[in-house]
Formats: sequence, C-alpha cells, structure tokens
Amino acid sequence: MDGIAWAASAMVASRTRLEIATENLANVSTDGYARVAARGFLTALGAAVARDRTRAHGALRETGRDLDFAIVGDGAFRVRDAAGRIATTRAGAFVRTAGGELRDAFGRTLLGRQGALRFPPGARIDAGGRVWANGRVADALAMSQDARLQSGFLEGAGVDAIAEMVDVLSAERSFESAEKVVSAIDGTRQRSAEAGRVK
Amino acid sequence: MDRALFAAASGMAAQQRSLETIADNLANAGVVGFKGSAQTFAELVAPGEGGLGTVALGPRVVFAQGKLARSAGPFDLAIDGPGFFAVLDAQGRRRYTRDGSFSRAADGTLRNAQDLRLEGVRIPSDALAVTVGAGGSVRATFPGATRTIGRIRLSEFAAPERLRSLGGALFEATPEAGKRREIVAGANEGPQLRFGMLEESNVTVVDAMMQILAAQRAYEANAKGVQAADEMLRIANNLQRG
Repeated sequence: MDGIAWAASAMVASRTRLEIATENLANVSTDGYARVAARGFLTALGAAVARDRTRAHGALRETGRDLDFAIVGDGAFRVRDAAGRIATTRAGAFVRTAGGELRDAFGRTLLGRQGALRFPPGARIDAGGRVWANGRVADALAMSQDARLQSGFLEGAGVDAIAEMVDVLSAERSFESAEKVVSAIDGTRQRSAEAGRVK
Repeated sequence: MDRALFAAASGMAAQQRSLETIADNLANAGVVGFKGSAQTFAELVAPGEGGLGTVALGPRVVFAQGKLARSAGPFDLAIDGPGFFAVLDAQGRRRYTRDGSFSRAADGTLRNAQDLRLEGVRIPSDALAVTVGAGGSVRATFPGATRTIGRIRLSEFAAPERLRSLGGALFEATPEAGKRREIVAGANEGPQLRFGMLEESNVTVVDAMMQILAAQRAYEANAKGVQAADEMLRIANNLQRG
C-alpha cells in the first residue's frame, strides 16, 4: 500500500475525530447526553476512527421542579413516541399533559410498569422510581437495582468541554501533519517524475 | 468536514438561544411571581449513523416555587405550592398569575399593578382591615364586628407548562393545559395562601449570571470547533499546490 494512501487515511481519521469532538462540544448543554468517544485503530487500509458511545454520566443540577428526574447510576427512562416506538433516554425533564401522562421534550410518553406511567397530580416519586399517591404505590419506573432516582434534579451532559477542546486542537494538528506527509510524498514523486523526463 | 462544521455551528446556535432565554429570565428577576424558563436541547442524530450536533427544542417555563418574602402591602398574597390566582382584565377575560401584590381599588376590588382584578373578592367600603387565611377566606373587620366577606379560590391546571405566557408573570389558558380546576387552598398537601407575603421570582440573579458565563464559554468553544473545521478545509484545499 502506498504512502499517500496511508497519510490520506490519517487525514480522514483526524477529520472523523474532529467531527466527534465538535459533536460532543455542541451537546455540552444537552441534558442526559453521553459523550461519544473516538476510538482509533489500524486496518489494512490505514488508520481509522470509530465512534464509541460511552456511558459517561453528567453532573446533576438542582431545578426544584417536581417533574425533573435524574438517574444516579446506570439505566434510562423508557419512552414511547406517537408511532408506538419505544426508546430510552436519560433526559429527565418531563411535563404533564392535560390527560395526565408525562411527556419528555420530544413529546414521548414516559412508560411505567404497564404502558404510560401513572403519575396523579400531587404524587411523589421515590429513589426507587416508585410513584406514591395517597399513601399507596400507584406505579413504578423500571429501574435497575443499583440505580437511584432523584426528583427535582436534572442530569447535565456527560461532556468535559476542556477535554473536547483539546481533542479539537489535536485533531487539527494531526490533520496538518498528515497533510505534510502527503505533500512531502507528492513532492518527492514530482521530483522523480521531473528527473526522469528527457530534456 | 461539513459535519464537523455543522455540528459546531449548531452548538453556537443553541448557546445563542440559551443566552436569549437567560437574558429574559434576568430581565424579570425582580418581577413578583415570575417563573423563569429553561431552554431544552436535544442531540441531533442522522438517520444512518452519527450525530449532527444539537438542536434547541424551545424554552419551557419552570414552575418551581419562588422564595416567599414578607412584604409591606396590606393586601399582598403569596401561593405556597401549585396553583394560580385567577384575575380578570378590563374586557372580563380570565388570566392567571402568581403575582399576589394586590391593592384595593376605589370600587372595593383587589387589583394588581396591571389593573387586573382578583376574582371572588370585593371589600366593602366600611371595612377597617382585611385578613386572608391560609385557606383563602377573606375576613374583614368592621366597627364592632368581624365577618367573612369572600373566599379566594386558586386555579390549577393539569399541564401548567402548556399555558401561554403573556409576559411577566401573566398566563392565559390553552386547551393543551387542560381544564381549569378551582381549588381551595389550605387543605392537606395542597397549596397554602400566605397573607402579607409575596412570592419572589424563581430566577436568582446569581444563578442567571452563572448560566450566562457557562453559555458564553460553551459558545466560544463551539466557535473554536468551527474554526478548526474551517482550517482543515483550508489545508485540504492547499494540497494541490504541493
């Protein structure tokens, strides 16, 4: 495999690293966002970078709103969109609809034990995800054993802006270096081509 | 390359929207009963693989309780818990607010600074003093007697976030917010009325300043991302010259 292709693969890899770093930076204010890690590896065709979704948890911040939930530990909220598709999210800012369901920012319905989570007005949710209304458990969120639910809090993005900035810069520099290699090989070839030319 | 440029630019746009929301909160930090808004962001994901940055889903009002502060007004009221005061404007349209800084008008009605009339109370001209209980019952002292002259009821909505904001601390009902429910304050676990107190804005200046700093830095970081993406494009374009 020739040198230009190798160096070019390094340029493409740096570009992918920049894409991932800017994507993480752009989501620095997205609640419940888990950063994407750039995982570099070598293939027969040169360097490559793969996207790797981490499970980085963001810091909790207090909002004082009773329908803001944060998950401490692993796990996610199960939500269902209008088409019936089920998804998971860690963005825990819910609003109540006139019909009494809890919806996330995309309008997806928060799911409980069976179907939409029952959360009567005035109900409270405990650390285990159980909804208490009038002294009884009305419904519960599916929570893993070691996870804890904190209401009145939201989980911020699991992104360290400084680390991402460093990634942006280092991707830029790697790109530059790889470009120098491409140029150098290209220059060498040009000279050989010129040397071989019959004057 | 376009993806990096797009993602970084989407981050800048999102932080810009966030700054607008915080600025609005800050401008109303001194408004009694004001509820701050928060911008919600979501990850933008391409149908195939990979993210495209972020998108602002729009601000939503955060109905968190504001701090209750003792006040000097003789008819000041604050709601401790959920609910709204129902007030009527000059055309008789019902509006909702948590601003309880009422004063007595010439016709005996209680009106707030925007001249909106509190429903359910009219104070007789010969009343010497008025008190309001935690349950909303209005008692007036007359020469030689004390009588209950009305009751202030609170209004509640299933989905208060869907009310339409009319600026400041004023809201209007919408079908999405659900039917208005009239509730009596003072019950167990329900809202309580506090007489002689006002609910401060739930935005604090210090919090808003911190949010502005964070948003500005995030904006700058994303701007750096745009620069880096642009620089890569420039280098790539220079390749041909050798």
